[in-house]
Amino acid sequence: MGELTAQKLAEIIARGSTKRRPDDGAPPRFAVGDRVRTRNDHPPHHTRLPRYAMGRTGEIVLLHGTFLLPDSNARHLGEQPQHCYGVRFTGKELWGAQGHPADRVVLDLFDAYLEPA
Amino acid sequence: MSGHRHNAPESDIALRVKAIEQLLTEKGIVDPAAIDLVVDYYETRVGPRNGARVVARAWSDPDYKARLLAEATPAIAELGFSGLQGEDMVALENTPEVHNVVVCTLCSCYPWPVLGLPPVWYKSPPYRARIVREPRAVLAEFGTRVADDVEVRVWDSSAELRYMVLPMRPAGTEGLDEEALAALVTRDGMIGVTAL
Repeated sequence: MGELTAQKLAEIIARGSTKRRPDDGAPPRFAVGDRVRTRNDHPPHHTRLPRYAMGRTGEIVLLHGTFLLPDSNARHLGEQPQHCYGVRFTGKELWGAQGHPADRVVLDLFDAYLEPA
Repeated sequence: MSGHRHNAPESDIALRVKAIEQLLTEKGIVDPAAIDLVVDYYETRVGPRNGARVVARAWSDPDYKARLLAEATPAIAELGFSGLQGEDMVALENTPEVHNVVVCTLCSCYPWPVLGLPPVWYKSPPYRARIVREPRAVLAEFGTRVADDVEVRVWDSSAELRYMVLPMRPAGTEGLDEEALAALVTRDGMIGVTAL
């Protein structure tokens, strides 16, 4: 990898660097409206499943398409592209009695983080 | 104070940044001109005025708004805004029933092409920890009161999507053109911590 020059950087800024990857043709495992539960395994490595949302049940609200998996990519273990979903949780599910009944939190979660609920 | 600020010791973070910059340039990894370019670009050329133009267009043109809400990345690119940290955009419409607000609890993900670089508070651990847990209290600190029967929907940018809020158009702005509307749109309104 050569020196990062102003010209190269200008190209990167303009073009971006999407983490979206081609679909492998397999349909997403979940559909909008499906109930899912997140993993609760506190991995020792990089992950995009925040601790506060581990072991929680939510609802699929958006299908974002296929993206590389940061957990794997960050450890140089390959991109493992997979579906990413917008998953909505209630404030009560995340925070118990402290949660406001009309609060919702949506997280973008990868297929590997989710199980059917 | 005498104003001789150069006599004061530099902060730890400033020293660390200087040391890293020096190492990167001495080892031939980064051309100093590239650092100048990125600083100039994000300090003077990209900022929330871009996002304000997107919002003003959406308020003025129902077809554009429909495109923006259906597929934000190409709709935003129609106005010339795209690239790094805006590759995969989603626009969130505030309504009388739902107030949207954006955070990145894991770090500081933010839609650079439309909003520029994030404000310090957006990156701060208190905002990131509290906005998901007690969003109404945080919003109140920004002067935003949300009625109990209105849903507060917090979007945690935990993967590669980047979010901007489409605020509700203020009442009494029917006669305004796009430029005048854009002047009403604030950065905080597009993060969702304030209403307009």
